[in-house]
Amino acid sequence: MELNTKFMIETFFDALAGIPVTLKLTLITLLVSAPIAFFMALGKIEKRKIAGKLISGYVSFIRGTPVVLQILFLYSLLPTLLNYLVKDVLGLSFNVFQLDTILYAYIVFVLNTTAVLSEVFRSALLTVGHGQMETALTIGMTKRQAYIRIIIPQAVVSALPNICNATIGLLKSTSLAFMMSVQDVTAIAKVKAAYGYNYIEAYLDICFVYIVLCSAIQLVFKLIERYACAYKKSSRTKGGALYARNKEYI
Amino acid sequence: MLEIKNIYKAFGNNEVLKGVSLKVEKGDVVVILGPSGSGKTTLLRSIDFLEKADAGEIIFDDIHAEFARISKKTISQIRKKTAFVFQNYNLFHNKTALQNVTEGLIIARKLPKEKAIEIGKRALDKVGLSERYDYYPSQLSGGQQQRVGIARAIAVNPDIILFDEPTSALDPELIGEVLGVMKELAKEGTTMIVVTHEMHFAQDVANRVVFMDGGRVVEEGTPDEMFSRPKEERTRQFLRRILPDFDYVI
Ligand SMILES: Nc1ncnc2c1ncn2[C@@H]1O[C@H](COP(=O)(O)OP(=O)(O)OP(=O)(O)O)[C@@H](O)[C@H]1O
Ligand SMILES: [Mg+2]
Repeated sequence: MELNTKFMIETFFDALAGIPVTLKLTLITLLVSAPIAFFMALGKIEKRKIAGKLISGYVSFIRGTPVVLQILFLYSLLPTLLNYLVKDVLGLSFNVFQLDTILYAYIVFVLNTTAVLSEVFRSALLTVGHGQMETALTIGMTKRQAYIRIIIPQAVVSALPNICNATIGLLKSTSLAFMMSVQDVTAIAKVKAAYGYNYIEAYLDICFVYIVLCSAIQLVFKLIERYACAYKKSSRTKGGALYARNKEYI
Repeated sequence: MLEIKNIYKAFGNNEVLKGVSLKVEKGDVVVILGPSGSGKTTLLRSIDFLEKADAGEIIFDDIHAEFARISKKTISQIRKKTAFVFQNYNLFHNKTALQNVTEGLIIARKLPKEKAIEIGKRALDKVGLSERYDYYPSQLSGGQQQRVGIARAIAVNPDIILFDEPTSALDPELIGEVLGVMKELAKEGTTMIVVTHEMHFAQDVANRVVFMDGGRVVEEGTPDEMFSRPKEERTRQFLRRILPDFDYVI
């Protein structure tokens, strides 16, 4: 078997045109999911009974079903459902089937990323330890002030590696958007490949684009971490901060 | 100045405080002794409302309240009059030594920043940390961290400071520096309640010693009475175990 290098190079540059869509899917999903996930994590930690149950149910449902399945479900169910809502319930003449399908992609990815991030935030908030919250209360701060000034800044720092993982996971799963006819990197390359059955070349191209994107994300997070960890950077001993942090569990 | 009457607290079925009463006058240094699990920590935490006591009264100067029906406003009033020093320091990891001390002043007490920094530096000077203003907790030894904890407590100029085993997480060679600071505070007339296993501190610094066991106050008196002529057999047993050369006058 021989690779069609000319096709491969051409398709590579064509696929690059899909990067903005891929990045847009990733970024907007993150921006929408993160705040929702944060309040879900908080709701669970502050032991809001009913809310906590609902959130747990939601998280296990999302985590217990394959993304592909969620896409298949939503993509075949949601348009019809929306159409029914708009036409029969609201009585509008708006054509739901004209909506950009990227909307469905956003819905699926937001649902997933929110579930993932809510767990990430929850465990991050827990690593800060209850002791610092108590201290804040004894010196007269309100719970809200303690969260904003003490707990959250530390939680965000300790969550960074997991947020990075979640972002990379999300970016990779956006490749499934082709199932909803969204023209991202994967979709563009696949369409090209279909003309002359050059699938292997196209897949290698896709592979390469994602590797570059994921490496870039890791780099960005490394830089953020370096900046955000100023308060742990110059520990007296190696791993000193980590030790101090874990101590609260003893 | 501070009086606790008949405080009760249970965790589920486990009754931890079974009607403890305690009276503290201005300038008193009250040391609470007792075996592990006797409810010492729970008592201190209840006074600062870190635990919600089930019954009992608290009288603090002109504030008179019942634990079971206490308002947020009263809690915040009493917290403003008290400070808490924790066994495991509980410093804010994302703040420097100085910020740890000034945080409560600026955020909770709304002092202007310059004023807070001035007070904060004075408090840190007092505990011998003039060289460590800008160090993060992870860069400080346990003894230094606990001294920051004490500086944070004295900075808010509380009427009373509650110490929960402030030296028991420290290496033996670091205990002295913390006890030294506490002795200094006692000499200046600071009112304190100290839970500790440091018998020398109790003997030298306390003007009252309270012995707790099984959620009750078994016996209380001056250090002299308690260490040389304890009346109760349980007190003697405890002292014999903890002071190998304990020898009481019958
Ligand atoms: N948050 C909690 N939930 C359930 N039980 C608790 C809790 N905190 C304390 N207890 C229980 O209350 C009892 C008294 O605990 P407390 O910490 O007040 O004892 P202590 O006298 O401070 O002991 P030590 O000298 O070991 O610190 C123990 O039996 C403990 O298991
Ligand atoms: Mg204790």
